Amino acid sequence: MRKVAFLNDIDLCIGCFACETACKQEHNLPVGTKWMHVVRVGPVEIDGRLVMDFVPMHCRHCENPPCMQACPVDAISKRADGIVLYDEKICIGCKNCIEACPFGAAQYNPDVQRAQACNLCYERVDQGLLPACVQNCPTQALIFGAPEDYTKQRREKVAHTFLHRRYPEAPGLL
Amino acid sequence: MTMSTVTAGYDRVVRTLCQGCHCDCGVLAYVKNEKVVKIEGDPNHPMNEGSLCPKGLSATQFLYHPDRILHPLKRAGERGEGKWQRVSWDEALDYTAGRFNEIREKYGPQAISWSWGDAAHQSCLWSKQAWLLGMGSPTHWHSDAHYCYHPLLIANRTTFGNYSTSEEGLDYRNSKSIFLWGGNPVMSHPTRARDVMTGLKRGAKLIVIDPRFTELAAKAHLYLPIRPGTDDALAMGMINIIICEGIYDRDFVENWCIGFEPLRERAREYPVDRVADITGLAAQDIVKAARISATVTPCVHHGRMGVQQNRNCVQTNRAISILLAICGSLDVPGGHVSKSNKPRGFKGVFHVVDSRDELRLPAEIEDTRIGAQEYPLFSGAESLAVSCAHPPSVVHTILTGDPYPVKANWFLNDMAVCLEGQRETYESLLALEFTVGSDFFMTPTMEICDIILPPTMWLEKDGISEVFYNIGEKDLIAARQKVVEPLGETMDDAMMDLEIIRRMGMEVPHGWQTPQDFFDYQLAGMKITFEEFKQIGYIEGEVIYKRYETEGFDTPSGKVELWASTLEKHGYDPLPYYVENAVTPVATPELTGDYPLNLISGSRHIAYFHSNNRQIPWLRELEPMPYLDIHPETAEALGLEEGDWAWIETPVTDDRVKMPVRLTRMVGRDVVHAPSHWWFPETEGPEHGCFQSSINLVLTNDGPYGPISGASTLRGVLCRVYKVEEG
Repeated sequence: MRKVAFLNDIDLCIGCFACETACKQEHNLPVGTKWMHVVRVGPVEIDGRLVMDFVPMHCRHCENPPCMQACPVDAISKRADGIVLYDEKICIGCKNCIEACPFGAAQYNPDVQRAQACNLCYERVDQGLLPACVQNCPTQALIFGAPEDYTKQRREKVAHTFLHRRYPEAPGLL
Repeated sequence: MTMSTVTAGYDRVVRTLCQGCHCDCGVLAYVKNEKVVKIEGDPNHPMNEGSLCPKGLSATQFLYHPDRILHPLKRAGERGEGKWQRVSWDEALDYTAGRFNEIREKYGPQAISWSWGDAAHQSCLWSKQAWLLGMGSPTHWHSDAHYCYHPLLIANRTTFGNYSTSEEGLDYRNSKSIFLWGGNPVMSHPTRARDVMTGLKRGAKLIVIDPRFTELAAKAHLYLPIRPGTDDALAMGMINIIICEGIYDRDFVENWCIGFEPLRERAREYPVDRVADITGLAAQDIVKAARISATVTPCVHHGRMGVQQNRNCVQTNRAISILLAICGSLDVPGGHVSKSNKPRGFKGVFHVVDSRDELRLPAEIEDTRIGAQEYPLFSGAESLAVSCAHPPSVVHTILTGDPYPVKANWFLNDMAVCLEGQRETYESLLALEFTVGSDFFMTPTMEICDIILPPTMWLEKDGISEVFYNIGEKDLIAARQKVVEPLGETMDDAMMDLEIIRRMGMEVPHGWQTPQDFFDYQLAGMKITFEEFKQIGYIEGEVIYKRYETEGFDTPSGKVELWASTLEKHGYDPLPYYVENAVTPVATPELTGDYPLNLISGSRHIAYFHSNNRQIPWLRELEPMPYLDIHPETAEALGLEEGDWAWIETPVTDDRVKMPVRLTRMVGRDVVHAPSHWWFPETEGPEHGCFQSSINLVLTNDGPYGPISGASTLRGVLCRVYKVEEG
């Protein structure tokens, strides 16, 4: 089975919160619980110039998920396509996974008193749809697909910047 | 229309249009058991192409919010006491129509007015206009008309002569250089931000001119942290450089512009060193920006609220319009498509409300409108800006009765926090004899109404969207359709208007019985009905570039008027110029000891539209409080830490407001930024905290106003900030 990846292109993220709210709606999350969170970094001053980034921080669906190892009741599993799933029926709400996640992506949902994390909208994915956040992102900053698709896309983008450097009049990459 | 492919788990999917802001994005509404359970962007809509912002994505929380007003309410206690009696629509409408008629007989029709200020009510512009026309009242006001869309209209129409403005017609997607002047479409016009990013992906240069280092400033090739309120000087300086270096579009200027020589003379007053002094920008950056505008073409210049909310806004917009023209970027792909390319035969709502053979009031009545004598191009019979009253003057008129009594107002949104000079505005609301409210929640303004007629929200009504649907490469109209039956007893705004017109004993134009009749009227020239249009969804017009070659420009001379004859005719300077705002370090250096910082206010947040949405959980979570943005070093000098509350005071009012402090380098060391329109639905009525953190308390409605649209100044006012001591 092809592995899926959930990645992002921070050059394109404009910090508009569409992904956060789409996720809230799709999974009916209460205030405070964020499976998707775009962190604003900066502005900071570097050599007299301001820079600022928006970094989508979501579950990376790790190959060897630390949360899964930390769960004492095996509530966390990994599908063949790579999607990491938290099972609310098994979860005891101990928060070990929250402690273990290096990205802060595992979340506590006070409404159901269970740990949760991005499930990559697997129900949508199984129907051939994009995850809600990816669907509603206005700039295609969120990328869902096979890891090899992503690397191909990234290579083409970087190659285009080389072209731009040599020929500033050349069109950008769409 | 119901989509043919129903996604598993839903009963139907309905294509319609959001109305959370002016973008009117296409959405798919998923319905289960007659409840809207999910909203997503419509991948087939030409504007948003499947994406959607938090406002649209939270619409189910808005629609089903437990605090929504769902029944007509009549005041049962003292005004503002919070005692209401639920009444039937018949009683509510008869009572309202009766009170309006009493006031009309006693004081004359001009004593009755209406006001709005948010996108959700745009769909009843035509029916409110029909109501005004029936009475013969010229009185209607919009909280931000004098420094928002309308100055843009005046500037663009006096320069190149038609409706499309810097808010419309800009082809960001295909442009080579994109200039954002005091605008941050990520927060204010999400679809435009998306188009800017598309332009960037295609290789455009981005230049951001803003005292705030905004989301898109972070993507910019050139960021110009301009001193607040000096965009006019920068634009004139850029014009000067472009002319001096001879890099303007000579062919276009020779053949299609008038007034180039006088413009050259005027621009000469703005050498780059002077402009650098005024704006606080580096001279080489100004030169760079000018050269990009003239040589990396076509360019687009997007001038938004940072430009508008200054008293000289019309002239600033004129200068920006001129940049588009002399850089050869008018009416070309990737530039500013200044003419409307809507489908042939379609009657746009602004055409209907602004044409004398349609619903526009007779000239002699318009000339009695509040503001018509002072600002004829804004409020009078010759208005170029969808004629409406001058908002601060309406407030003064309500309180003084000069030039005539204004005694009743129909409020479509909150007016308590939405207009500068808030103390006096609020006082004027209380002074009215009769107040009608049509809003979704108990806002500070609804609380002091005599009767509340609750409107449907966009998921519960039909409509046609078109006003901000021109993005240069596309210009379209689209159908909004009812997804579910209205909750409770809510009623379409326009339907209420038709009812009130009838119950006041007046004729409805063309015998329109329902809003759908009006939509059919708009579409008649296209030979389709609204029912058919709903099936189609959206229709694009054929975009024709360089129409001026066959039609000329819609100005008195038929050319782009760099030297504007319409302004001259009305006694204004026909050429743009820079003027310093009234209370700044330059204008009033003597005040800088007590008021050392420059206050800018009114930037938007994507969660909100004006005063809306503070009660929507997913939206409030994104920006829970009205944070005062302040540079970390400035904060440190003031003894302020992140999260402290700070007072803000200006020399222009006697009030002060407090806000929690947010340390950020988005603003420079001498600038603080305060958000606007804040009230707290969770706090007690009738005021709901509207006198705590609303920046309009420290901004004045007493002028000095801009000479053309009567704009007040909300950007670049001296202020002081100090810690709120506990206890």
